[in-house]
Amino acid sequence: MNTPRTQSQGREFAGTPGRALSQHVIDEIRELPARFPQPRSAVMPALDLAQEELGHLTPEAMTEVAAALNLDAGYVEGVATFYSLFHMQPIGKHRFYICTNLSCMLRGANELVDHLRKAIGVSEPGEVSKDGLFSYEGVECLGACEYAPMARLDHLYHYDLTPEKVDSLIEERRNPHPHLTPPPLAAPPHGGEGKKPRTRKKKGDG
Amino acid sequence: MAELRGSHGEANGNLLTRDFGTPDLHKIDVYESKGGYTALRKALLEMEPAAITNEVKTSGLRGRGGAGFATGVKWSFIKRDAPEPKYVVINADESEPGTAKDRYILENSPHMVLEGIMIAAYAVGANQAWIYIRGEYDEPHRMLMEAIGEAHDKGYLGPKPMGKDFPLDIRVYRGHGAYICGEETALLESLEGKRAQPRSRPPFPAVKGAWGRPTLLNNVETLATVPAIINMGGAEYAKLGTDKSPGTRLLTVSGNVKKPGVYEVELGATFRHVIMDLAGGPPDSRKVKVFWPGGSSAPVLPESMLDTTTDMEALAAAKSMGGSGGVIVMDDSHCVVRAAYRLLQFYAHESCGKCTPCRVGGDWAVRMYERILANEGSRVELDNLRRVSDALQNGRCLCGLGDSAGWVIDSTFRHFYNEYEDHALRHECNVGKVMASA
Repeated sequence: MNTPRTQSQGREFAGTPGRALSQHVIDEIRELPARFPQPRSAVMPALDLAQEELGHLTPEAMTEVAAALNLDAGYVEGVATFYSLFHMQPIGKHRFYICTNLSCMLRGANELVDHLRKAIGVSEPGEVSKDGLFSYEGVECLGACEYAPMARLDHLYHYDLTPEKVDSLIEERRNPHPHLTPPPLAAPPHGGEGKKPRTRKKKGDG
Repeated sequence: MAELRGSHGEANGNLLTRDFGTPDLHKIDVYESKGGYTALRKALLEMEPAAITNEVKTSGLRGRGGAGFATGVKWSFIKRDAPEPKYVVINADESEPGTAKDRYILENSPHMVLEGIMIAAYAVGANQAWIYIRGEYDEPHRMLMEAIGEAHDKGYLGPKPMGKDFPLDIRVYRGHGAYICGEETALLESLEGKRAQPRSRPPFPAVKGAWGRPTLLNNVETLATVPAIINMGGAEYAKLGTDKSPGTRLLTVSGNVKKPGVYEVELGATFRHVIMDLAGGPPDSRKVKVFWPGGSSAPVLPESMLDTTTDMEALAAAKSMGGSGGVIVMDDSHCVVRAAYRLLQFYAHESCGKCTPCRVGGDWAVRMYERILANEGSRVELDNLRRVSDALQNGRCLCGLGDSAGWVIDSTFRHFYNEYEDHALRHECNVGKVMASA
């Protein structure tokens, strides 16, 4: 087994230090490799589980993922930092992934970003609002160009956005009405699922 | 689901989208009531694998992901007698700017995709298929998982699909945000748990693909077309479209049009028909200035070329390509230099960093655009853009991402060099003037 590298061994990790993973998540991660023809494929689903628990990937979490999967911690970090859906910093409770690529830009995405920024009180992408609720990120094409401009928020796509719609998305999350607003969808299970939907804990299923 | 924007129903010779809009089409019973899974039954119970591949060859179907390679030929590269395991990998990592058709198909008819996958797997002798779906597609992912569950319950997936002694299994892997995963070997790297960087070829995936095994890679739309081909016969399918680009395909029309949507057209229709008739043309009596005929990677065409047809040969003759079928329309109230700048930012951001020209060239081009748009440009920036564009192309990179970035520069230079000169040499943007004089 490779010894995972940690910060104490003279190298700085990407990301903000923070909490480590709970035991049940680590147990779940240990079950992932069996779902794939080769165990290495489990690294991204494992990082998903880690991010789901912590909100972002801490150096501690990446080290633990590496240990659970028998990989080098530097390798895990290398994978995590390659993909834009893994976050190395806290992102707030609700992240607006707002498409700013051409199809959305031609229909006002840049103006929407300006509006959103003011509405949640941040000056740059990634910055978390003071109440800890919001952040945003201008992203590349999200593949829903017929509904431009659009954004992904809380695992849902939001279409035909206007400043007013953005305001109400924010308002609904600042003051959730338990009976009027459906709760945000939980993150669907990630990675390596086959056969039956949502049976993440089944062994040998991927 | 949101309001359907695009082709659905029997009208206009719809082939793939004919039943789209039927309530609960994503449920297996409804799909079957519309004739779903008859092609799989026919393929498994009445056809030899080689005959299926031949049928697809006869149809002339070409890959709908971007490269347009002949699908049947690709299938025949997988040696049926190669030792197990073999894999079918489905590219559902739709990320080409301006392209939403795979999402449209997955949300409307996930079983149509599954049926195509199962037929392909049987034809090439693969017992397991992996759908690589982009991480942002939460709803399509959920629908796929439900559909796979239903197919298992019905016995279409499992040890003996429809009684045939050929185990079939479909699994789903979620991407995590990397455009480069649309490139097939980068996708395979990602599936194997690595950074998604393209591989050097050969060996090709048909010989050494996922986890080192023979692998067939196809796009969602390509495989969604297969059931129709098996049902109607390859020869009948080949009558649609043009000689060399047969069939129909789904074009995503976006940007400055009144009715953006995913439209199914017979190949050979003109872009004028697609943009002006189907999508209603630009709003507020503005004019089309430029359009990208096949995603942001396809070289741009000006308004004067609206009568170019949608088949791949006509697009190649126009120095562009069919690509992913993403038709981005920009009207005369927008600046071509700014649009090109936005796309170069995209390509610079999405470069995986493996090949130097792409890693360095994209950023370099972005800096040139920034100088030009800050009114600090001169002949030097224009010349540099030309040099960078050349350095990105012609096989200097392992995959097409570098070429695509170069084509944005090349094609906007070719058709709109005056706008570049306005910005770089005269430090002005003529878009406002065009609007004022109109």
